This record gives sequence, structure tokens and C-alpha cells, in this order.
Amino acid sequence: MFSGKRQTSTSFHIMSMVVLVVMLASLFGTAAFAEEPSGEPIKIGLQAPLTGDYAYEGKGFEQSIQLLVDQTNAAGGLLGRPVELVIDDDKGDPKEASLVADRLTTAGVVAVIGGYNSTATEPASEIYDEAGLLHITPSSTATRLTTKGFQRFFRTCFLDDRQALFAVDFMKDVLGVKKIGILHDNSTYAKGLADWTKTYLEEAGIEPAFFDAINPDDQDFTPTLTKIKGAGLEAIYFTGYHAQGGLLLKQSADVGLDVQWLMGNASNNPELITIAGLDKAKGTIVTTEPLPSDLPYPEAKAFIEAFSTAYGNPPASVWWVMAADAYNVIKNAIETTGSTDSETLATYLHNEFKDYPGITGSIIGFDEKGDRLGTIHKAYVIDDQGNFVVYGESTS
Amino acid sequence: MELFVQQLINGLTIGAFYALVALGYTMVYGVLKLINFAHGDLFMWGAYLGWVALTFAIASLFENSVFVVVPAFIFVMFTVGLLGIVIERVAYRPLRNAGRLAPVISALGVAFILESIARNVFGASYKVYPPELLPSGGVGIVGDVRINYVQLALLLASVLLMAAIYAFVQFTRAGTAMRAVSLDHDTSRLMGINVDRIISIVFLIGPALGGIAGMMVGMYYGSFDFTLGWVFGLKAFIAAIMGGIGNIPGAMLGGFLLGIIETLGAGYVSPQWKDVIAYVILIVILIVRPTGLLGERVAEKL
Repeated sequence: MFSGKRQTSTSFHIMSMVVLVVMLASLFGTAAFAEEPSGEPIKIGLQAPLTGDYAYEGKGFEQSIQLLVDQTNAAGGLLGRPVELVIDDDKGDPKEASLVADRLTTAGVVAVIGGYNSTATEPASEIYDEAGLLHITPSSTATRLTTKGFQRFFRTCFLDDRQALFAVDFMKDVLGVKKIGILHDNSTYAKGLADWTKTYLEEAGIEPAFFDAINPDDQDFTPTLTKIKGAGLEAIYFTGYHAQGGLLLKQSADVGLDVQWLMGNASNNPELITIAGLDKAKGTIVTTEPLPSDLPYPEAKAFIEAFSTAYGNPPASVWWVMAADAYNVIKNAIETTGSTDSETLATYLHNEFKDYPGITGSIIGFDEKGDRLGTIHKAYVIDDQGNFVVYGESTS
Repeated sequence: MELFVQQLINGLTIGAFYALVALGYTMVYGVLKLINFAHGDLFMWGAYLGWVALTFAIASLFENSVFVVVPAFIFVMFTVGLLGIVIERVAYRPLRNAGRLAPVISALGVAFILESIARNVFGASYKVYPPELLPSGGVGIVGDVRINYVQLALLLASVLLMAAIYAFVQFTRAGTAMRAVSLDHDTSRLMGINVDRIISIVFLIGPALGGIAGMMVGMYYGSFDFTLGWVFGLKAFIAAIMGGIGNIPGAMLGGFLLGIIETLGAGYVSPQWKDVIAYVILIVILIVRPTGLLGERVAEKL
């Protein structure tokens, strides 16, 4: 191109004209298709971490929602149109999430489900709000996300301040411990949960004996664990994610740290046990929404069975079923309003949507901030076989 | 005091890993004046290959014997070393006379290629080293201070490897040839040294060390994924610079120092600030001694 000789041969010009005409023709071709309403798919976007630390959860989101999309299409589609899932990988990283949000908003989706972690959901939610898109997160529980006045942002999960309250009540009443430590990883979700736990502890008259954060990029937490050992704690609540949670449990035994470990609802999956090793993980308590296998609702049983048939194993994480419920909410909104306009759907969800029989229980409704009403948390303990079994129960 | 000693032991262990990886950087820089950015990812591949070796070896050959680790180590060393030679041949040698920038870009490209291949071949989720393999428990030293068996074994292995490398470079003909090549290529050729062969040897040893370190890190921490190489490699590279790039004892010193500073910073101040502390100290060291702690003023070629 820069060689100094100019390509002015006529064959070159003819080639480029042909290419141009073909491109324009295909453009008009698809425009012609767009006139036909019954064939045009309804696109729903999924923003999830398919790679990275949270790939375990992200893959589960994809599987859950794709299953429901296939079911919808097999039953005649949505408003008679096929549903198409547009998936994009945000790697659990806020910078990638912004790029994903940009791409999804220009991909013509009518709603977005995602992300998994609050750190990735937060920047994306700003972009979706500006684009006027309906946005539902199944798992980002940081309280801050619904304080921005976004009218089209909802969650099918419950908030962290309730989880913190549950954890505090559990530790002081059920476990009866007084010297409590809190460990987070500076992410939006973990820090939020940690701060709420600290607040509720102090309200209950207990000063946390240890409050610090790890760096999730690290692998070696022995310095921190050695420090915790020196603090003589009875219990410590780690509010970060399962990859680091597993490493903490493993290294905790290596350092000779004898303490009751509790973890938050980002550690409620079997990969935690794989990373830590069963004999290091057993006895750990996890505060979380009920696990899929403990959901007593017929919708849950049906979904678990369909999932097992399709993928060979039942859904292992409660977030996967939360994602499924996010899809169900969108589907219900589109079917009831007969529209795919985000504004209409959001108004419906705020004002008229109530008591929907979801997989995670009756979705009572959403409040004016977009948060799901009601909440149920349980404490699970990891038993000798590596199963999560219920320890205590609370509704608040 | 006990806390201090315990943190020191933790720091030495992680420092040993940094040191092994830093050696790879420093050796390659010495002979080629090139920062091999792909080195961190060779380290990561060592972790994966070690995992493959151990998972298969346990399944087929030996029972849960700890000694299955030895053939696995050797396998990883040779495979990653071979990979290093291939990379040098394919991505760096053709660019040897193309200036300073082209090889660096090539190295970055190789780094990304290695990461992507690892992610696509092994998947994106964490891989876990078989825990039955490693003896748990440890030995108490003084009061509350403990060092566990795995820590002890890996530290010993690392120190032995470093001693072997040092002896190799100081006392063998090939090692002397390496030092000659790192001073000046043309003069070495005049002295009858096959420069290309020496460089290949460096690319066998350096990446082999990095690969072994990767497997050790995998064994020590238990789990890893394809992003392991990035942060670790960066820190080891910084350790190599801190000790004096191109200087072998310098790389070892830098690695151990970085491990200890990081650990003490995390233990006594806060894990959130440990990186700030470590790298502020690094900057101070470089301001005071710009060539690194053990680095010498090397005459620039005109």
C-alpha cells in the first residue's frame, strides 16, 4: 500500500465494486428479513465470567439459562418468536465488563442478565442504564448497586446487609463466640459484606478482634494467617470468593491455625472443597441462600431434574438457579406485557409483578430500588463427605 | 520474636520460588540482553505439566508414594527446557540482529500465545494438585514456630538447584563460555565458542528452572490456573532487577529479599499494603544502586 506504486488497474476497481455491491445487497437482504416479525429472534444478553476466578459460576449461568432458552423455543418461543441468547465473557473483571456492556447494548438485546460478581456488575449497570436496557443480576449482592436510582435494574438475589445480620446473629447466638475476626478481599461485594458484619457486630456490643483484607491476586496467605493465629480468635468470617477461600482453608491448616472458619455466600460451591482439600475444608460454615438441592419448591425440583438430564449433573450452585430465575422474570414480563421495550418491562416489574413461583421460591416482588423483597439465609456446614448440610435456619 | 521467625520462614519459601524464576530471567538477559517476558508463562506451563505428570503417574505407575514426584520433576524440567529451546529458535534467534525492540515484542507475543494455549487446552477453571501426594504436618523448631514438610522439602530442593546452577556457571567450561557470551558475542566467537549453542543451553536451563518452580508452586499452594504466570513472573522479574539483572547470585538474592519483604510487610503492616511496601523499597534500592544490589557497571557497546 505504501510502496509508492499506485494500483489503478481496472480489474482492481471492478473487484472492489463487486465486493461493495455484494455487501450492500446482503445488508438490504437482512433488512428485508427484519420486516417479518415472526422470524426475528428476541435476543437476551448474558454477561458472565466464562474465564477467570469465577468461571465455575459463569459456566453454570450459561448452562442454566441456555437450558431455559431451549425449553422456551421448544414450547413455541416467546410471543411466537424464537429466543436467542447472546453470551459475552466479562472475566469477572470490571474493565472487561464495561467492554461487554458496550457490545451487548449494540447487539440489539432486549434485556441483560449478569454479571456474577458485584465488581463486574457495577460498571456494566451504568452502561445498561444509559442505554435504557433492562438489567437483572442474579448474584451481585453488594448493597451499593441499587443506590443509584437506576429504574431498570433488578436483582433476583438478596442483599448483603441481611446476610451480614444473619451471620452476626449466628455467630453470637448459635456458636456463642466473642472473639471474632473479619477478612475480606477489597472487592465491592466482599468489602460491603465485611463492613455490614462489622456494623452489626458493633451494634450487638462486640468489637471485631481482627479486620483486614487479603489481595485476591496472591496465592500465599500464610503471612496473614500467621497474624490471625497471633490474634487468638474463636471464629473468623471470610467474605471473599471461593478460590481464595479454598486457599485460606488449606493454608490455615499448614500454619497450624485452629479457629472456626465461616465464609460468605460466594464460597457456597463444591470447588471450594476441591481447592482446600476435604480434610481441611470440613467443619467450615457457609452463610448463604439455600442450596439448590434444599429448595422445596416444585419448580426447583423440575428445574434440577431438567438440568441433570441435560448436563449429567444437578446445578451445584444457588447462583445458577438465581440466574435461571432472572430469565424466568424477564420471560414473564415479556409475556405479560406483550412488549420487548425495556421501559415497559421495568415498569411492569416495579408495579404489577408479584408472587411469581420462581425456582428459588416465590418471588414476592421488587421494591422501588429493584431489590427482591423478602430474604432467607441459612448456615451450612461442610461435613466429612464434602457435602453442604444445613446447620441453622433463619428468615428475616 | 516467634512471629518474626515464622514470617521469615514463610518469606524464605516464597522467596525461593521467586529466586528460581528470577534466575531464568537473569540468565537470558545475561546472554541476550533480552527480557524474556514469556518466562512467567513457561513457569505456568511447568505447573500444568507437573499436574499432568503427577495425575497420570499416580494413576498408572506408582501408588501414593512421595517418590513419584522425582520422575515428575525430571519430566517437567526437560519438557519446559525443550519448550524454551524451541521458543528461542523460533521467536528470538531470527530477530537477533533486528534491534532491541523486535525481540521484546516477540517475547510478549510468545507470552500471550502460551497463556491462550494453556487456557484452551486445560480449561479455565482451577487445577488442583493431588493432595494425597504431599505429606502434611510439619516439624516445630522453636516454641510456636513451625515449618511444614512440604515447605522444608521445597526449600531444600530450591537451594540445591541454585547451588548446582552457580557451580555450573562458575566452574564448568560451558558455564565459563556462558559468562563470556554475556560479555561480548563477537569476542566469544573469536575465542572459539559456539555462541548459538551456548544460548540454546541457557534457554534449556533457564526455562527448566522456571518450570520446576512452577511445579513447586503448584504443589505448595495446591491450586492454580492459567493466569499464574503473569503476576508471579512480573514479581520475579522485578526481583531479578533488584539483585542486578544479568547477575546470577543477584537473582537469588533479589528473589529471597522480595519474598521476605513481602511477607514481613503483609504480616506486620497489612496484606493490603504489602505490594506498596515491597515496591517502594525496590525503588529506593534502585535509586541508591541503579544497577541493582550485586550488579556491576557493564561497559556499553558503542
